[in-house]
Amino acid sequence: MAPDPDAALLLAFQGGDHAAFRVLFEKYGRAMVAFCHRFVRDSARAEELAQDVFLKLHASAGAYRPTARFKTYLYRIATNHCLNELRRGEYAAARARERDPEGDDLERLPGDGATPEQHAAAAALGRAVERLLASLPDKQRAAFVLCRFEGLSYEEIAEALGTSVSAVKSLVHRATVAAAEALAPFAPGGTGKEVAP
Amino acid sequence: MRHVLDDLTAYLDGALPPDRRAELEGHLAGCGVCRAERDRLAAGLAALATAPAPPAASPGFEARFHARLAQERARPRTLRQRLGGLRWPVLAPLAGAAALAVAGGIFVRHRAEQAEMARHLGLLENYELVASLGGLADPEDVSVVTQLHELEKEKP
Repeated sequence: MAPDPDAALLLAFQGGDHAAFRVLFEKYGRAMVAFCHRFVRDSARAEELAQDVFLKLHASAGAYRPTARFKTYLYRIATNHCLNELRRGEYAAARARERDPEGDDLERLPGDGATPEQHAAAAALGRAVERLLASLPDKQRAAFVLCRFEGLSYEEIAEALGTSVSAVKSLVHRATVAAAEALAPFAPGGTGKEVAP
Repeated sequence: MRHVLDDLTAYLDGALPPDRRAELEGHLAGCGVCRAERDRLAAGLAALATAPAPPAASPGFEARFHARLAQERARPRTLRQRLGGLRWPVLAPLAGAAALAVAGGIFVRHRAEQAEMARHLGLLENYELVASLGGLADPEDVSVVTQLHELEKEKP
């Protein structure tokens, strides 16, 4: 395994170097908010969850062994935390809101130079992606998010989810088939219009 | 060769071993069904790549985190948290030793109580007389007195 500078930072933190932990948070903290948002679709909650993940990392850093890459270790904590959050009862209301995307956070849309049509198309695509993610079973959703948005390899996803590479291959494939179906109107040559959920 | 639909995502992700990749490409060259599915999946992924990102974390996100962290660190740690850094190869023998110590403690205490009672058996026999006259009010005392013959066996 190639040297992992982030793992070295976590090991330094184990040895009492608190600045090393701060560096890890600065590097991954904001990306973690985006990751959590893929699960909960609420900015404030996503920030809180991302903070929880780093508090857990802080508390459990002593258990880390450099046999796992730091990023895989971090996303394992994050995925478990987000999936647990989804399973909590209070998310019944949030899931109901998923059927009413008008009430959701607006995503980061094209810049000021974009036309109103481009804004509308980007917003529609963002909602279609959110509906797609919400429709996937938990483990498929986690594997898909780790693969498509976080750029983890199948091997890293398997480690993060505590499953086999062949299981990840199947999870990612099924989610990708669902994505092709859901995003067909936005694909090159598509209508660019939302399909009613 | 049968269709290769289940491997198409891994193919697009570059996650197939070279021999399987070559085999799949050979199949795609002659199979319109699998080519069409490959193109459909690739188009879906292309659309996904253009989707807007989730909102950025708000200003002050880092400061709020460090405040929470400071609060957590100021809080006394639970036993679970203190043991959190230890791994099972360390914890399992400790847990086993603790269980043995507790069991041993209970046994020793029980034996000590029995020995103490046996030492005072003569005195307790006087209580038997008192009990027979109805002079004991506490049910626990009555219970001890009724088991005096059992205790006698323990007398050193």
